[in-house]
Amino acid sequence: MTNSISEIRDADCIFITGSNTAESHPVISYEVVRAAKRGAHVIIVDPRRIPLVRQATLFLQVKPGTDIYVFLAMMHTIIREGWADEAFIAERTEGYEAFKAVVEEYTPERAALMSGVPAEQIELAARIYAFGERVDGPSVYEEDRGHSTILYAMGITQRSNGTDMVMTLANLAMLCGQVGQPSTGVNPLRGQANVQGACDLGCLVNVFPGYQRVTDDEKRLALAQAWEVEELPGQVGLTIVEAMHAVAEGKIRAAYIMGENPMMSDPNTSHVEQALRGLDFFVVQDIFPSETAQLAHVILPAASSLEKHGSFTNTERRVQLIEPVLPAPGEARPDWQITAEIAARYDKKMGVDRQLDYWRYPSAAAIFEELATVTPIYAGMSVDRLRGEGLQWPCPDAEHPGTSILHVGKFSRGLGKFNPVEAIDPAEQPDEEYPLILTTGRVLYHYHTGTMTRRSEPLDWIEPHGYVEVNAQDAAAVGVEDDGFVVVKSRRGQVNTRIKYSEGVSPGTVFLAFHWREAPANMLTQDFKLDPVAKIPEYKVCAVRLENPPEKNLVSRRESEKVR
Amino acid sequence: MVTVTIDGKSIQVETGTTVMEAARDLGIEIPHLCYHPELSASGGCRLCIVEVEGRAGLEPSCQLACADGQVVRTQSKRLSQMRREVIDLFVSDHPLDCVICDKAGACLLQKYAYEYGVSETSYDLEVSRSLFQDDNPFFLRDHKYCILCGRCVRVCNEVIGADAIELAGRGFESHVATPFDGPMIDSSCIFCGSCVQVCPTAALMPVSRRGKGREWDLDRIKTICGYCGVGCQVEYALKDSRILYAQATPDAPVNGEFLCTKGRYGWDFATHPERLTTPMIRRDMAYELGLTDEPWHLPDASPLAVQQPKIEDSFVPVGWDTALDLVAQKLADTVKENGPDSIMGLASARCTNEENYVFQKFMRAGIGTNNLDHCARL
Ligand code: SF4
Ligand code: SF4
Ligand code: SF4
Ligand code: FES
Repeated sequence: MTNSISEIRDADCIFITGSNTAESHPVISYEVVRAAKRGAHVIIVDPRRIPLVRQATLFLQVKPGTDIYVFLAMMHTIIREGWADEAFIAERTEGYEAFKAVVEEYTPERAALMSGVPAEQIELAARIYAFGERVDGPSVYEEDRGHSTILYAMGITQRSNGTDMVMTLANLAMLCGQVGQPSTGVNPLRGQANVQGACDLGCLVNVFPGYQRVTDDEKRLALAQAWEVEELPGQVGLTIVEAMHAVAEGKIRAAYIMGENPMMSDPNTSHVEQALRGLDFFVVQDIFPSETAQLAHVILPAASSLEKHGSFTNTERRVQLIEPVLPAPGEARPDWQITAEIAARYDKKMGVDRQLDYWRYPSAAAIFEELATVTPIYAGMSVDRLRGEGLQWPCPDAEHPGTSILHVGKFSRGLGKFNPVEAIDPAEQPDEEYPLILTTGRVLYHYHTGTMTRRSEPLDWIEPHGYVEVNAQDAAAVGVEDDGFVVVKSRRGQVNTRIKYSEGVSPGTVFLAFHWREAPANMLTQDFKLDPVAKIPEYKVCAVRLENPPEKNLVSRRESEKVR
Repeated sequence: MVTVTIDGKSIQVETGTTVMEAARDLGIEIPHLCYHPELSASGGCRLCIVEVEGRAGLEPSCQLACADGQVVRTQSKRLSQMRREVIDLFVSDHPLDCVICDKAGACLLQKYAYEYGVSETSYDLEVSRSLFQDDNPFFLRDHKYCILCGRCVRVCNEVIGADAIELAGRGFESHVATPFDGPMIDSSCIFCGSCVQVCPTAALMPVSRRGKGREWDLDRIKTICGYCGVGCQVEYALKDSRILYAQATPDAPVNGEFLCTKGRYGWDFATHPERLTTPMIRRDMAYELGLTDEPWHLPDASPLAVQQPKIEDSFVPVGWDTALDLVAQKLADTVKENGPDSIMGLASARCTNEENYVFQKFMRAGIGTNNLDHCARL
């Protein structure tokens, strides 16, 4: 996030898109509720009537994959009506003219046609966002423009044009000068406890710790020196989806997977399974025998986050310490100990001679001390400083208080760049054979691939099985009653699950969460077209059809409750 | 800005600040039951009354706005007497079961009864609510302990936005209720447990702690929730190294006193019997290595197609030494034969910074590849 979570409650306008905040980031949704109760505008652009729509003052229900037209039309309106923040644009940005020329084409009328949202609503959203208008109540900010903040999540990034989508939202914020001040900014909500930290520490194909590019010779050499190795690989690696394809070509032969479950989380499950089975050697380190672990050659038992020391970095870039609460079960060990031990033994097998303590760290704290020296944005942090409230990066030196708001007065790259972005439609469009659009996501009571929450008694009590949300109209077309079984089919595979009538999805759209192993949503999703830059698969849009199951099995809601 | 003096100490505060808030800023605690710093003031309990110089009546400080030059007293004989009467009335409708109550030690009513020396009611004890609802695995609702402070209703409306409960009925009939007193699951409740968190008494209690230990016997450890990226701080209350319940504390930097249902109730996965507790090698590889006598082949059926796959059917447990050595050997063999770029590493968004750092260092400085990813994108 460019800004911090606690600022949301003071925003005058909150613009939420591609984030089912109340279910995926509940505590952030509490901030939105507080702002709404104090009179802020809450604008939601989403294909589904998500729970937070209850608090919204304006809900633009778009057809999946067409939100880009709405954003472009909002910017079109803002420029046409002269609502842009000209001073901000002149002083702090570049590339405005080229961008303006592109946006010219995207009228609200065109957006209405594509997305199904009336043009007047798009124009209204544009005005409210641009000026940070409130419904009522006083603003805590005493300026001409109120403060507007954008919250988004995977609904924006998990698209074949995800990078474009993110740039579009950044353009919108810059256009209105809604950056670099409290309660503004462009704020991605990250889905998992330490996804931010894993990125910060360089667990990506193209960057070392602290987002230093692997292709930057100078940085690479410096890191090699710090790590006391002759050289480091300077070529961008293969992402997970690419690697899965590379197995078939014999390029990838072995895999080491720590705490991930690609059998459930990656697109096109059948293909993932084929790839994993094709590996010569494959080791999984996890806390449960996940669907992925079932296929591994070796399984190593890890301690969970409740059983070890270390730190997590949250979505607002706050690094916080975790503490062991429980003893680890049996012989399970913290992941860092396992990896370090493998590394030390690997060196020996390869005949590499290093100091004894090169891999064998005495504690998690010792690792943090080392990583801070090679990760510039963490340079000023130490375990001692992290006690209590933690620190938000960038924190370049030991005196630095951390950074709650990015881009204050100046963008990290200097001038903010307007990227002219054209609308691109989703890679797979519905057709006669597969007439519905499937969109995937999460529900409140479960988390990711369900390995943890499905083994929590209270959480699994409330949502013990998967379901596909379907509009009554589409459900009637297949003739399956509420809570009856249905088959969802795509070009990649099929899943059997229950149907749940829902007014939350419009006709033509169905929703399936990816937590349930009995109804693995990713059997259906596509992996042929990735975002060209971020290499993210398009989980949010693919074409499917509904079918009656071979033998009709109509279990009523009542009966399923008895099973509970 | 206005300046007020409370118990002889002066402070400058924003216009609109209440005396209760100003007192808190000064570190003065005014007794209160219905007031909660994160919620709107309702002025229901009257325990927070104060004396204002120049005014005859007593005012509830949670609703009294500070005025310039105001002089306030939070303690006096008269106030103590009035507060004693308020508490007396409360305990006339609240069984003093403190000796068997799980909340004892953390209950606000008990705290003030102790401070003001109210050991029993001077009225006839008459408990007007007897409803006991255990309709969900998250929390119990035991209405006989409810003092109708309304905190639960306000938090559900003002912070959570769920509007699942309300104060229903009048007089002796009044109680906190879901629509038509139905089970929680049929209401709009999202089981965040925030009502339980702010309840001052034992009327709302986590199921998981029932009869398992007294407040003063519990160990408390704070850490960060392992689920989503919000990074809420959670405080676990434990007895004999077992978690009894989880809550949040006001000093948590991101979430204050609030959590979602996963953070507050989803910790029991850690002690689930299916946790992996020993390294294991798949049976076909174990056979090759001479670790088992029975040949075996990985079945063609997808693990997703099998109802309840048992890990022991396909794997044999081994010691750490054997497992680690095998992994190192296999990775080394692969690199020697096919080069470092034939290896793929997947780090984890659920592991710590330290673990991800060591992992990528191994892939890069050890093996020598950038084929390194995690599910940031997924
Ligand atoms: S658990 Fe949360 S949603 Fe349910 S009644 Fe309590 S505060 Fe409201
Ligand atoms: S249940 Fe608790 S919080 Fe709710 S009104 Fe009763 S005492 Fe107050
Ligand atoms: S308590 Fe809920 S919102 Fe907070 S970090 Fe955990 S899962 Fe996320
Ligand atoms: S705390 Fe002020 S009236 Fe209850």
